[in-house]
Amino acid sequence: MRAPGTVAAGETLLAVENVSLRFGGVKAITDVSFDIRKGEIRAIIGPNGAGKTSMLNCINGFYYPQEGRITFKGETRRRMRPYVAASQGIARTFQNVALFKGMSTLDNIMAGRTLKMNRGFFWQLLRYGPAMAEEIEHRKVVEEIIDFLQIEHIRKVPVGKLPYGLQKRVELARALAMEPELLLLDEPMAGMNLEEKEDMCRFILDVNQQYGTTIALIEHDMGVVMDLSDRVVVLEYGRKIADGTPEAVKRDQRVIDAYLGVAH
Amino acid sequence: MFYRETGQFKTSYQADMAVFPIRQDRIGLALILLAAFVVIPFFGSDFIISSVMIPFLVFSLAAIGLNILTGYTGLISLGTAAFMGVGAYACYKLTTFFPNINIIVLILVSGLFSAAVGVLFGLPSLRIKGFYLAVATLAAQFFLQWCFVRVPWLFNYNASGAIEVPQRTLFDIPITGALASPETRYFVCLGLVVVLTWFASNLLHGRIGRSWMAVRDMDIAAELMGIRLLNTKLLAFAVSSFYCGVAGAMMIFLWYGGGEAADVFSIRLSFNILFMVIIGGLGSLVGSFFGAAFLASLPTIMKFGLPAIGVPLAGATAEHVTFMLVGALIIFFLIVEPHGLARLWQIGKQKLRTWPFPY
Repeated sequence: MRAPGTVAAGETLLAVENVSLRFGGVKAITDVSFDIRKGEIRAIIGPNGAGKTSMLNCINGFYYPQEGRITFKGETRRRMRPYVAASQGIARTFQNVALFKGMSTLDNIMAGRTLKMNRGFFWQLLRYGPAMAEEIEHRKVVEEIIDFLQIEHIRKVPVGKLPYGLQKRVELARALAMEPELLLLDEPMAGMNLEEKEDMCRFILDVNQQYGTTIALIEHDMGVVMDLSDRVVVLEYGRKIADGTPEAVKRDQRVIDAYLGVAH
Repeated sequence: MFYRETGQFKTSYQADMAVFPIRQDRIGLALILLAAFVVIPFFGSDFIISSVMIPFLVFSLAAIGLNILTGYTGLISLGTAAFMGVGAYACYKLTTFFPNINIIVLILVSGLFSAAVGVLFGLPSLRIKGFYLAVATLAAQFFLQWCFVRVPWLFNYNASGAIEVPQRTLFDIPITGALASPETRYFVCLGLVVVLTWFASNLLHGRIGRSWMAVRDMDIAAELMGIRLLNTKLLAFAVSSFYCGVAGAMMIFLWYGGGEAADVFSIRLSFNILFMVIIGGLGSLVGSFFGAAFLASLPTIMKFGLPAIGVPLAGATAEHVTFMLVGALIIFFLIVEPHGLARLWQIGKQKLRTWPFPY
């Protein structure tokens, strides 16, 4: 017997069924279904404008799809809400770094722990006793993540001053601080040089293995996608055109056409 | 030279998370508190205390209130004076109804009324941002100021429309009213400001402060991390208005000692406090004090200080010159350091830490 709401490795953690999303007359996503299994690294790829980021936005409740259902940990919802998604264990990084620029690295990552902190207003006023104990307890967790991602040296630096590659890493740290079950990474390697990309790949694999976090990632670097992911879903113009292992997807004629174009 | 953290090792997270992790900072703070509690009341003249220090403290508190909202949560407000007014009138009504409850308690309780009104006018902040929110708070300013004039119940149907501050005592020492000495009023103000600043600092260094800043810096990311925008913004409005309300009650009861409060809590005051926050430094507690000191004390010091050092200026001229000088200084500071005096202070401290090396 498992406690309700927990999912064993290999079972479906998140299922997207027949989701359609429109903005007025623009169809961003049309009738897309796929699933993400617990413990896997699932890549979502596709040409620009295929609806990949919109898909992530539907999953964590930032957009409300007009049709379809999203099942997370056995609970089916018409639409997610950001707060529910976050408290149920869906964390997210952004294509354009969305850090809290005025805050230090440490505060950014601590902010990721907000949902796990529950000392009330009056203890917070005193910042003493239970409130301080809670701060310290979460600081320990945050320090472990800082250690894990090797960003000790920038702990107290305001993130606005950091180079881009490090900002991406701090953003990953902030998402990890939420101890997510499902981590959505929106182009974690965009704009990085080869060395930074390799570092990031290593971190993603480590996160997947050490913390057992399920990862859904959007990425344009095909080498990265093929090396990292267990299964790949391919979107084009808001429709799903392929789904399967990297090898199968690589050979799929529709995927090749989508990326290389077809002669008309 | 003196300001070095070399050799101060932290062995616990608690020490690392202290508000003042560097020993020299703690010594400095102790010296400032000593000066504020001992030196100024015993060696300062009545004039310094009642015309420089009390206004400075009142404005500091109001600036902290606005800074919580604008500097830390990123919500621009032009209704500060109105929220201060709510505090003042609430305090007046409360002390009319409950004359036996200590006035200091009532000043704090009137902050709660202000907080409630602040939350009410903060409701649109979920949908609108920036200049549009500023206009919405402007509505609060005009509506509440209208109430202060048109609802006679607020000023106890007084024919002149003014608040008449009654005499209230603590341990038989008058702290409000005509008989209260400047020193007593100063001590009450100082006590309130010190305690409330400490509370604000605690809030800002913890979970709540971080969620405020998260909402300010990137509200989408904050929302997707589980920070509820409406709750966080309304809490910022509540806390901010509480501080403004207490400052307003202090202003009428401990500084002005009564008067036509509706004129005091005008849009001009709102702008003044906004300037204090901008010049002092958005998102900085110490900046609120700098801004208040700069804008509240400078005119007084110039008006009375210039004749004192032998620059002869007569009444009206002095006022005009002061206006021009203060205006010029504001522009100067905004050009030299757009992030406010607090940033200058920070840069200065950083330079001292690494002195004599440039980095």
